[in-house]
Amino acid sequence: MNENMTQEFQGATKYVLDQELAAIVNISMRLEMPLLLKGEPGTGKTMLAYAIAENLDMPLIVLNVKSSMKLVEALYQYDTLTRLNDSRFGDSKRDVSDIDEYIKMGKIGQAFVADRRTVLLIDEIDKADTDFQDDMLDVLDQMQFDIIETDRTIKAGHRPVIIITSNAKKDLSDPFLGRCNFHHIAFPDPKMMRKIIHVHFPDLDEKLADNAIKAFFNMREIDGIEKKPATRELINWIRALNADPDFRVKDLINGKLPFLGVLFKKSPDYERAQNLTSRKRLF
Amino acid sequence: MFVKFFYTLKEVGIPVSPTAFLTLQKALYNGMVAGLDDFYTCARAILVKSERYFDLYDQVFAHHFEGIPLPDNEGFEIDEIARGLLDEWLKNPKMVADALGIDEDKLNKMTPDELIEYFKERLKDQDGRHDGGGKWIGTGGYSPVGHSGYHPGGMRVGGVSQNKSAVKVANERRYKDYSTSGPLTQANIGEALKRLRNLVPAGPKDQVNVDETIRETMRNAGEIELVFDRALKDRLKVILAIDNGGWSMDPHIDIVQTLFDYARAQFKEVKTYFFHNTIYDYVWEDPARYKKPKKIIEFTRNDPETRLIIVGDASMAPYELMAHDGSIHISERSGRPSIQQLRFLAETFPHCIWLNPVPESMWGYTHTIMTINTIFPMYELSLDGLEKAVTKLMAKD
Repeated sequence: MNENMTQEFQGATKYVLDQELAAIVNISMRLEMPLLLKGEPGTGKTMLAYAIAENLDMPLIVLNVKSSMKLVEALYQYDTLTRLNDSRFGDSKRDVSDIDEYIKMGKIGQAFVADRRTVLLIDEIDKADTDFQDDMLDVLDQMQFDIIETDRTIKAGHRPVIIITSNAKKDLSDPFLGRCNFHHIAFPDPKMMRKIIHVHFPDLDEKLADNAIKAFFNMREIDGIEKKPATRELINWIRALNADPDFRVKDLINGKLPFLGVLFKKSPDYERAQNLTSRKRLF
Repeated sequence: MFVKFFYTLKEVGIPVSPTAFLTLQKALYNGMVAGLDDFYTCARAILVKSERYFDLYDQVFAHHFEGIPLPDNEGFEIDEIARGLLDEWLKNPKMVADALGIDEDKLNKMTPDELIEYFKERLKDQDGRHDGGGKWIGTGGYSPVGHSGYHPGGMRVGGVSQNKSAVKVANERRYKDYSTSGPLTQANIGEALKRLRNLVPAGPKDQVNVDETIRETMRNAGEIELVFDRALKDRLKVILAIDNGGWSMDPHIDIVQTLFDYARAQFKEVKTYFFHNTIYDYVWEDPARYKKPKKIIEFTRNDPETRLIIVGDASMAPYELMAHDGSIHISERSGRPSIQQLRFLAETFPHCIWLNPVPESMWGYTHTIMTINTIFPMYELSLDGLEKAVTKLMAKD
C-alpha cells in the first residue's frame, strides 16, 4: 500500500501526546476513517492535526467551518466573474471556452487533488447545520465529488487523514457518527499539564511552573465561572509572569495572582476571581 | 469475535451499530490491535460515539474481560421505587405529600406521569442506599419515607385506603411519557425549528448576482454590468416566555432547557422572559424573576412581526387566571386579570403560540389549559407539536 500508511504517529515537537490518543489516531489512519474529536476548548483538538501533519511530514489543509457555509464551497468554486471578464476583454491567457480553467478547488477539493497524502482538518464542524455535516461525510466516504458545471468527477488521489473537531456539547447526527471514529479529549491533569508546560518552556524555573499550575487548577475550581481558563490561557499566563521583571514566585505562594486578565476573559469571571484572590490574601 | 461484548454494550444502553462492529472486526482482522490495551482504545473509538457513554463502556469492559459484575440497572430500580411510592400515595396521599415536603393540593393536580417523574427526580438526588440515615429514602432509618422506619409521621406499609383519585391510573402506565421517552433531543428540536426562519436581505450589497449580471451585461451589448445584492440573513425576532415558577413545571425542566438552549444558539434575536404560572403585569428577564422586570404594556414597542412563543403547562387554579387580583405576588396587582393580559399579548403579536409540555390527551382535564387554548393556539411540546407550531408561526396570516 501507500508508503504513508505504514507511518505511525508519535507526537510532535510542541505537542504532548498521550498513548491512548496516539493509538486512536493510528487506527483511524489505517482504517481510513475520519476521527472526530470532542472536548473542552483548549484541550488541543486543533493542535493535534497540526502535530500529525508535522510528525508525518504531510501538508495540512484546514477547513474552518462557518455557520453559513454550503458544502459546495468546501469542494470547489466556479469563478463566473473572472470568466465573464475574460470573455469581455480577452486579455488573459485562459481559454474562455474551457470552464475547467475557472474551477477553483475548495479545501476538501484541494486535499483530494493533492499529489501526496495530506492531513485535512475540519475545524468546528458543529457550527454548520446537520445537512452540511451529513453531505460532507458522504463526500468523505465516497472520496469523490462531481463538478456540476463540467460534469467531471473528482476522485481523491490520496485518501487524506481526516481530523474533525467539534466543541458542541450536543451530539452530532447518527449517520455522521456512524462514519467516524470518536475520541473525547479530557482536560489534562496537573501531571500532564506539567509536561505540556515543559514542552513550551523548556528552561522554566521549576518552582514557578509548579506553583503556577497549582494556582491555575485552583482557579479552574472557582464556582460559577462561565469560561474556565484552558491550556492556552495557562501558557500565556506563564509567558506573562516570565516577562514581568517584578514578579517573584513567592507572590504566587502567598496567593497574589497578577495578570488575571490573561486567564479570565469574561468580566464577571474576572471580578469573581479577583475578589476571591484578594480575600484570600487578607486571611 | 467479541459478539457477546458487543451485545452487552447494546444491552446497557450504549447506541452501538452493526456497521461500527464490522469496522472493529476489520481492524482486528488486519492486525491493528496488538493487545487488550489496544483493544480497549480501538473498540471505544470505533463503537462509542459520545463521551457520555465512556463510563458505561468502562463498566462493560471490566465486566467482560475481568469478570467484575455489572451494577444493577439503575433506571429500573428507580422506576420500581417510584411505583412503590405511588402505591403509598394511593393509600395515603397526605403522608406522602408531607414526607416529600410538597403541598398535597398541588400533588393532586399532577398527572400520574408527572408524579412519577417528580418522584424520580427526588430519588435521583439520593446518591446511594442509605440505611439508618435521617434524610433520604432507605430502610430502617427515621426518614419519613421508607420502609419500617420509626418516624412518627411516616408512612405505614399497608395503610388504610382513604382517598382514591385518578392517580391510580399511573400504576398501569397507560400514557406514554412524552417528556422522557419521547424523541425530543436537541438535534430533533433543531430539525423541527429549522423552518422557523425569515431570511431577508440585509447588510452591505456585496454578493454578486450572477444571473442578473449576465442579463444586464447582455442588455448592455456585452459591456460588463455588475449587479450586487445584499446577502440573505435571518432576521426573525423571537420572544420566548418560559414558565419556570412553581414545581409543577419541574418534571418538564429538562425538555424546556433543551428548547431554550437551542433557541439561544439558533436565533440572532431571541429575548427570553420568565413568568410564574401565567402572565400578569410583568415578565422577568432573570430566571429568579426578581431583578429585571419588564412591563407587558411595553411589548407594544416591539415589532409586531416578532414571533411569540410561550412555554408553560398552563395549569393553575382558575382564579389565578380570571380574578382581578389573581397574582400570587402582591406587588403586581394592577386590577387586570391575567386572561386580559394574555389576550393583549395575543393581539400585539399575531404570530404567537403556546407550547405545553403536558400531553395533549390530558388537556381536557384542566380548566385553565382549555381557557388559554382559546387565546393562543396551543401545541404539545413534542416533535409532532413543534412541527405544527412552526407551521403556524410561519403561516402568512
